[in-house]
Amino acid sequence: MIAKNNLIKIHDWLWEIPKSFRADMRVACRIYASEKMLDEIFRDRSLEQLINVSILPGIINFAIAMPDIHEGYGFPIGGVAAFDENEGVISPGGIGYDINCGVRLLRSEKKFDEIKSYLEKLGSAFYKEIPSGVGRGGRLNLKGKDFNAVLKDGAKRMIEMGYGKVEDLENLESSGFLENADPAFVSETAKKRGKDQLGTMGAGNHFVEIDKVENIFDENEAKRLGLFQDQVVILIHTGSRGLGHQIATDYIKIMMMSLIKYKINLPDRELAYAPFKSKEGQDYFSAMSAGANFAWANRQLITWEARKAWNDVLGKEGGNLKIIYDVAHNIAKIEEHSVNAGKRKLVLHRKGATRSFPAQPVLIPGSMGTGSYVLVGEEKSMKESFGSTCHGAGRRMSRHQAKREIRGSELKERLEREGIVINAGSFSGLAEEAPEAYKDIDEVVEIVYKAGIAKKVSRLKPIAVIKG
Amino acid sequence: MPYEILEHTADLRMRVAGKTKEDFFSAALEGMMRVLAEKPPKFFEKKLRQVKIESPDLTSLLIDFLNEALSLAYINKEIYIKAVFKKLSETILEAELEGAAIDGFDEDIKAATYHEASAAQNEKGEWETVIIFDI
Repeated sequence: MIAKNNLIKIHDWLWEIPKSFRADMRVACRIYASEKMLDEIFRDRSLEQLINVSILPGIINFAIAMPDIHEGYGFPIGGVAAFDENEGVISPGGIGYDINCGVRLLRSEKKFDEIKSYLEKLGSAFYKEIPSGVGRGGRLNLKGKDFNAVLKDGAKRMIEMGYGKVEDLENLESSGFLENADPAFVSETAKKRGKDQLGTMGAGNHFVEIDKVENIFDENEAKRLGLFQDQVVILIHTGSRGLGHQIATDYIKIMMMSLIKYKINLPDRELAYAPFKSKEGQDYFSAMSAGANFAWANRQLITWEARKAWNDVLGKEGGNLKIIYDVAHNIAKIEEHSVNAGKRKLVLHRKGATRSFPAQPVLIPGSMGTGSYVLVGEEKSMKESFGSTCHGAGRRMSRHQAKREIRGSELKERLEREGIVINAGSFSGLAEEAPEAYKDIDEVVEIVYKAGIAKKVSRLKPIAVIKG
Repeated sequence: MPYEILEHTADLRMRVAGKTKEDFFSAALEGMMRVLAEKPPKFFEKKLRQVKIESPDLTSLLIDFLNEALSLAYINKEIYIKAVFKKLSETILEAELEGAAIDGFDEDIKAATYHEASAAQNEKGEWETVIIFDI
């Protein structure tokens, strides 16, 4: 069992579990955290799970944890792992069930005071236009080759269908699609689960928010991204819905079967993997990429819905909603990184972690009562964390405990007293996502900032929350 | 109680138990369906779905069964009230699920996971395991 005295302090914001800690570790583990936050991290089994990641074949440099790490299944949530393209593996558990769960930020031309009197109407219009909750279908029900085209081309396909502008693609991670996607490797069950879910938010921690820019930390970067004080922006947090969940379920089973076949013992079956270049590995990568494309298409259609709601309420006076950026925080991608003074192609797994390449906007959603952050990637992240940073606040309280301790109706009243308009499908769903159920987002962001892997640009404050 | 919800920071941890394998699998199905719909309909037109699963061991069979029921529930917008097992060995399951149509679900379960799952008989001779659901 790992304890605090097993950790080596690299600096105030970075800790190491040495390779010598457990005989089966192939590399050391590195954790971005403050000493205070470490105490919280030790409350669950996330570091044990991080050590389990370090034993996987072909892992490069370190198994890395971000300050928002918490216990998952197989891999912890808030983790980054890079594997050699030729000798390494791909593991669905290192991506998660919600493939390409991610965040998109839209900017308006308006200041808070200009839309303040329309806020209730905007909240209702967003709730009406963007289907939320579980089992509520969206406005599209694509079949056959039309559905496959979405899996193949992601956000681009939605724009071809009229749900956005060509310039929207310029500000999406990977331009909103992964080219390895092949719908032939996605099961019919997965397609059936996703067929009516494009343009829907889902439930759980997914949301659409209207926020205002509360703080600007870096004027130059804010200007470059088109952000200004008191500006109204829209934050969208959702992923690949049932389609992605089913792809993960299907391939975890396939990979688990092959582990049994090859008599490979792992500390946790959810770590199931396949060599990246094997048939199983390539099939999963093609299916996972299709799931990622579905998620980008989903956030594109939600963008269209948000624009519609905005225009319905504010008319032409409301101006345009432009995309600042769109990031994935549950994904595997092929990326080239410097390793031992040479460039190598790696299979980057980010599960609850965000790409943070230099100058790239990074979006960190917080809980609904607190706030969210816009960061920009730093050069140092390329040297230390494979161009990655944190992804959110990270839970500290179980959903069960949150529902037991917090009444949804009281929470709604409290948030409304703070000036936040709430449109939610259920009080219990609201209680599960209460601010006190999450770690302190300011502390999480402060650690990645002080560690030098991302720069703070702006803090956003919610003014209207739309949830399932 | 055939199932009990335990604490988990981010997801849902559930302990399920049953005297026979059939009771054990039914308890897990009931627990999962109760999370999807806290109050299932009392009067409904029965919807029947057939499931056939083959897995390498009993633990995988249980998790695969739950994931199959989950996919059917979401695709057909149904909640399954009962499972009638035609065959249930260590590695093969054939069952008929009896369900009811519903308008929406209370919770979004992404999947039943293999993490922590280990189907075994306890000291009372009952089948028991913990299951983590990703939600």
